[in-house]
Amino acid sequence: MAKQHRVVWDGNMAASQAMRQAQIDVVAAYPITPSTPIVQNYSQFVADGEVEGEFVMVESEHSAMSACVGAAAGGGRVATATSSQGYALMVEVIYQASGMRLPIVMNVVNRALAAPLNIHGDHSDMYLGRDAGWINLVANNPQEAYDLCLCAFKIAEDMRVRLPVAVNQDGFLVSHTAEVGEHLEDADAYGFVGDYTAHNPMLDPAKPVTYGAQTEGEWHYEHKMRQNYALVNAVPVVEEVLKAYSQLSGRDYAPVECYQTEDADELIICMGSVVGTTTMTVDRLRKAGRKVGMVAIRLWRPFPKEALAAAIKNAKSIAVLDRSCPMGTTGALYNETAAVMVENDKSANLINYIYGLGGRDTTTEHLEGIFDDAAECTKAGKRVKPIIQTINLRGKSLSFYE
Amino acid sequence: MTEEHLLKGWEEFEAGALLFSFEGDPSQRKFHENNSIHHSVADWRVLKPVFNEELCIHCQFCWVFCPDTSIIPKDKKFGEIDYVHCKGCGICSDVCPTNPKSLVMFANQTPIEEALRNWPAKDEKKKENSDG
Amino acid sequence: MLEIRWHSRAGQGAVTGAKALCEVMAQEGKFVQAFSVYGAEKRGAPMNAFNRIDDDPIIDHSKAMIPDYVLVIDPSLVYTDITYDTKEGTKYVITTHLSKEELLKEVPALQGKDVHVVDCIRISQETIGRAIPNTPMLGAFVKVSGAFDIDEFSQAMKEILYKFPQKIIDGNLQAIRRAYDEVN
Repeated sequence: MAKQHRVVWDGNMAASQAMRQAQIDVVAAYPITPSTPIVQNYSQFVADGEVEGEFVMVESEHSAMSACVGAAAGGGRVATATSSQGYALMVEVIYQASGMRLPIVMNVVNRALAAPLNIHGDHSDMYLGRDAGWINLVANNPQEAYDLCLCAFKIAEDMRVRLPVAVNQDGFLVSHTAEVGEHLEDADAYGFVGDYTAHNPMLDPAKPVTYGAQTEGEWHYEHKMRQNYALVNAVPVVEEVLKAYSQLSGRDYAPVECYQTEDADELIICMGSVVGTTTMTVDRLRKAGRKVGMVAIRLWRPFPKEALAAAIKNAKSIAVLDRSCPMGTTGALYNETAAVMVENDKSANLINYIYGLGGRDTTTEHLEGIFDDAAECTKAGKRVKPIIQTINLRGKSLSFYE
Repeated sequence: MTEEHLLKGWEEFEAGALLFSFEGDPSQRKFHENNSIHHSVADWRVLKPVFNEELCIHCQFCWVFCPDTSIIPKDKKFGEIDYVHCKGCGICSDVCPTNPKSLVMFANQTPIEEALRNWPAKDEKKKENSDG
Repeated sequence: MLEIRWHSRAGQGAVTGAKALCEVMAQEGKFVQAFSVYGAEKRGAPMNAFNRIDDDPIIDHSKAMIPDYVLVIDPSLVYTDITYDTKEGTKYVITTHLSKEELLKEVPALQGKDVHVVDCIRISQETIGRAIPNTPMLGAFVKVSGAFDIDEFSQAMKEILYKFPQKIIDGNLQAIRRAYDEVN
């Protein structure tokens, strides 16, 4: 295992340090809360001469991602960072990045989408980019934001993948929370990421190539399916990279993280900073003799269907937490879970909790309440609550879908 | 109408929908089947530019301004017009500074010889070297 | 687990103070967490920063806590609610130009609580040259909590501040020492 250094970093510093160590050719970014410090720290590294690559100041996030696409097509290692409205402004171009199979790495510091305007964390932006064809990893604390950012370069640039990767971390709860962590030495981190191999770069005059050609009805479907084939089949590559990183760092990661699931009757399935709080809640309830567990989704896209099926096989009641308002249906993670259950003839009581919107706090008490609901379902042998529940919402009790 | 060889299966396309200019060693300049050199895009042209060598001063404005690289220069002089890719926009004629112009738009079906016979006369109202 | 809640105004350095405390605690081998809660990001708006300190890794990412220490670094914030979500033994370290008696008279909600006062504003003005009350508050905290030896703490802070000009480092160390001596 490689030598490591103990530090106190918040999620933004962790991500920017990983970017520094990856020796990126081009970073084009436009600052937006809560990811601003990533851009700020990185530009400081540039000003201090700690990195050799280019830092491109742009006039908007649309331009930031456009510059990233150009630089990546040109043949460089490219990364950026954004949040919320900035992510929304990038959306047109993030589809270009994945469609052109450009291995860009983006740190997404998750934040609510307006209106009403809100700077705090929820997963609205992550869900907005759900179908954009990017690999999406979820970091639940600053340490993971560092580790997964390094892994992201390795995954994106793998010749079997060649797709952009977003590393998500919760706004403020991870991005602005300083914690004790460990980081690799520069040489080890860069050794893990490896030298960048340009593939069909536009800046190779000996082999002229066109990026962004139009494909009408005869070709579009074939190209999109080819892209989806690469994305769906990226799961084993993600596993391989996470395993290699574990050997280097001693920190284990998997597309689906299971905590006390084997004999659990009730499970919470969740993503993001709530994973830590849920782990603590599981420990607390286990001490009281309750058979509860947690499944944390680390790889949001491509969705790890097989691993989730294995993780939930023994559960009697499952509470799925979505940190984004589903607007007219059930939450996206709930939908994924329901699909996996149908595909595997798995039956369990399934409830969807919409929580933490705009940074609303979610505590162990709230999570205990969710486990209590689930236990009630287990005891009754059926779902005893409407499908969508709210947590820590003021006003009259609100639920959806009897 | 799509040519048969372009109807490949999904697994046969280049990842990222990329199109290459050449096949094999680029120095051999074997144009790739996708290269537009093989595909006429001029079939909806209504007017075509005709070149009059007698009048040309080889300023190469037309070459600079042509949006479809359809003015092919030779030895830093006007060479020829690529009628396979020229869409007949008329910019070359518009920027031509000679009086009368060395590039004039004629109906697409007009034979070149006929066009040269019917070349417009010098515009006397126009001042010499005026940008008009 | 040791939990601390800072009451501050945006721009007074509560987040920096909370992070500096984390750095020192982390050097001691503790696991730490520092985070803050703020809204409109405007200078002068009341805000909170938080510390969690433990022997084990801290995995809780909720904002809820019942603090062991409430550190108030702006004198006017005693007129806001600083006693919510507290417990029997919660200790208050409050920056004020008032004496403890005057403060308790002024803020009845603090009566019967374990209150300590120190004038971090004046100390920072006289040592650092600006009203940056975060580092003196750390000195007062060291005294009230007894968590560190003041010399070891000062040495650790010196290492954390190494990037700053010597004048700033000296001012901060002096501020820490004075608050340590003057808090009561």
